[in-house]
Amino acid sequence: MSRTLIIGYGNLLRGDDAVGFLAAERLRALVQDPEIEVLALHQLTPELMEPISRADRVLFIDAAATGDPGTIRRKKVLPAAATPRFTHYAEPAALLAGARSLFGHAPQAWLFTVSGGDFELTRDLSVPVAKALFRLVAGIVRRVPRPVPAP
Amino acid sequence: MPRQTIVIDPVTRIEGHSKISIHLDEEGHVEEAYFHVTQFRGFEKFCEGRPFYEMPSLMARICGICPVSHLVASAKACDAILAVRIPENAARLRRILNLAQIVQSHALSFFYLSSADLLLGMDGDPAKRNVFGVMEANPAIAKDGIKLRQFGQQTIEWLAGKRIHPAWVVPGGVASPVTGETRDRILAALPEMLTIAGRTLDWFNSEMESFREEIRSFANFPTLFMGLVGEDGGLEHYDGKLRFLDAGGHIVADHIDGASYASHIAEIAHPWTYLKTSFYKPMGYPDGVYRVGPLARLNIVDGCGTPRASQEWAEFRELDRGAVLSSFYYHYARLIEILFALEKMEQLLNAPDILDTNVRAHARANNLEGVGVSEAPRGTLMHHYKVDRDGLITWANLIIATGHNNAAMNRGVLQVARHFVHGNKLSEGMLNRVEAVIRTFDPCLSCSTHADGRLMLEVELRNAGGELVDAIRR
Repeated sequence: MSRTLIIGYGNLLRGDDAVGFLAAERLRALVQDPEIEVLALHQLTPELMEPISRADRVLFIDAAATGDPGTIRRKKVLPAAATPRFTHYAEPAALLAGARSLFGHAPQAWLFTVSGGDFELTRDLSVPVAKALFRLVAGIVRRVPRPVPAP
Repeated sequence: MPRQTIVIDPVTRIEGHSKISIHLDEEGHVEEAYFHVTQFRGFEKFCEGRPFYEMPSLMARICGICPVSHLVASAKACDAILAVRIPENAARLRRILNLAQIVQSHALSFFYLSSADLLLGMDGDPAKRNVFGVMEANPAIAKDGIKLRQFGQQTIEWLAGKRIHPAWVVPGGVASPVTGETRDRILAALPEMLTIAGRTLDWFNSEMESFREEIRSFANFPTLFMGLVGEDGGLEHYDGKLRFLDAGGHIVADHIDGASYASHIAEIAHPWTYLKTSFYKPMGYPDGVYRVGPLARLNIVDGCGTPRASQEWAEFRELDRGAVLSSFYYHYARLIEILFALEKMEQLLNAPDILDTNVRAHARANNLEGVGVSEAPRGTLMHHYKVDRDGLITWANLIIATGHNNAAMNRGVLQVARHFVHGNKLSEGMLNRVEAVIRTFDPCLSCSTHADGRLMLEVELRNAGGELVDAIRR
């Protein structure tokens, strides 16, 4: 069984930006598998390089500021160096590069995004994003490897 | 040449948002320089009317970097309102959490925000002067920094339930005792962290010779220093009494109860910043300007109280005859404090009663006022609340470490600008040094901009030629 790390991130107080965080929370409740670790975070930070390096594959879940609200996209992420101006957060590609250069392994990784429509100060998702959240979580649950039942 | 103003906006690699303005005369010489804090939070006002027991969780929201510091100071203020002495093991657990906070915050400051200046040089490529540049230039140091911060954050999560904005510290103690499993996990991780701390100190000491000019000019001037000390005069981050020390290393005031801070500290507001400025009241402003934080703490104490940190502290004190004055040494002091925090956590976790389940005292509001003082990573943190008979907050005052340091930071910016900036020939490295002196203090601006009463505000109306037409001040 390969080890999967799911990282959903976003700001719970900025409307649709919360979708990644909320997806991770739901997945943590649904996926009861010791080989799958789920993290719900406000943002990506350099400390994630180490747990990323221990995984065989990583799924990042984030909100997107572009596209029709509720649109779900998936793309493969490859390691790439980054030079952000601020150092409190990082991009998935930079974390993969750091995992490889500092901890010796960059797993396969995908980024799932849900296009948001409302990023103002609210704890509520917009209707299209709330609906997309159900589809996204169901889709990821179908994709993650299932444990083989004991004979 | 005409008079000019150089503006650095934003100041990078610090916590929060600010800018620096450097004013040059006709000859291109630096005339004045200011550190402007451009954000305003106002927690002191909008907590009014809330029940006091909500305050620790509310106040933790001030900051995503040091929420634990606000939790601790706020809970101590609430303990005073309850009029209880919290169980010994609750105090022990709060101490461990506070030390984990110091480890993760100091690691962030040193490795993520400042090590690029030290490793790549003040004149290094600005595109590389960040933690990712450090990863390329010296992966071992970057890895050490990440591991150390991860340890601090993880310890906070293990003890308090989550890394950011935990609610475990409550009025009267902590919400739950520590389990044997959690204690053992933290203890198991400590040896590697102690190795990293020692290795980083060795590296920093070997690099210091390359920064002689910065050491001479980075906020290197006489001020007072303030912080908490233990009953034995030792390094203390959770409890203790306030001590003021002068630049010559002489104690100016000692054994000050945190609750009487207002007799010793006063604050003023300037029109060009939202950050209040504190000073030592008996000496007035500006003679009473003081510094807080790691440099101040190591200056004011009589010793550290843990074996390896004590050795490093003894070397630190050899740097100057009196107090160590250069703010460049904040970095050094920060590393010594990481070592101390790790050693102290080990001592506390090995205490025989660490698993004691009596960790909370219960009471109603018995006092109408409470003050909580603790040492946050950046310096002394004070929370002062008043409540009505129903326990609702009627007034709050927060004095944050960065506010204590405001006058010294401004003076430091001017000193560095005068030393390095010459208007007829500007370089990126010059301006980076002006930012770097601010980084030595590790200011946390989101923590520190809460008005007590009325903020000074000045609005100037200028015509197209820049001539002042009208001004309103309140």
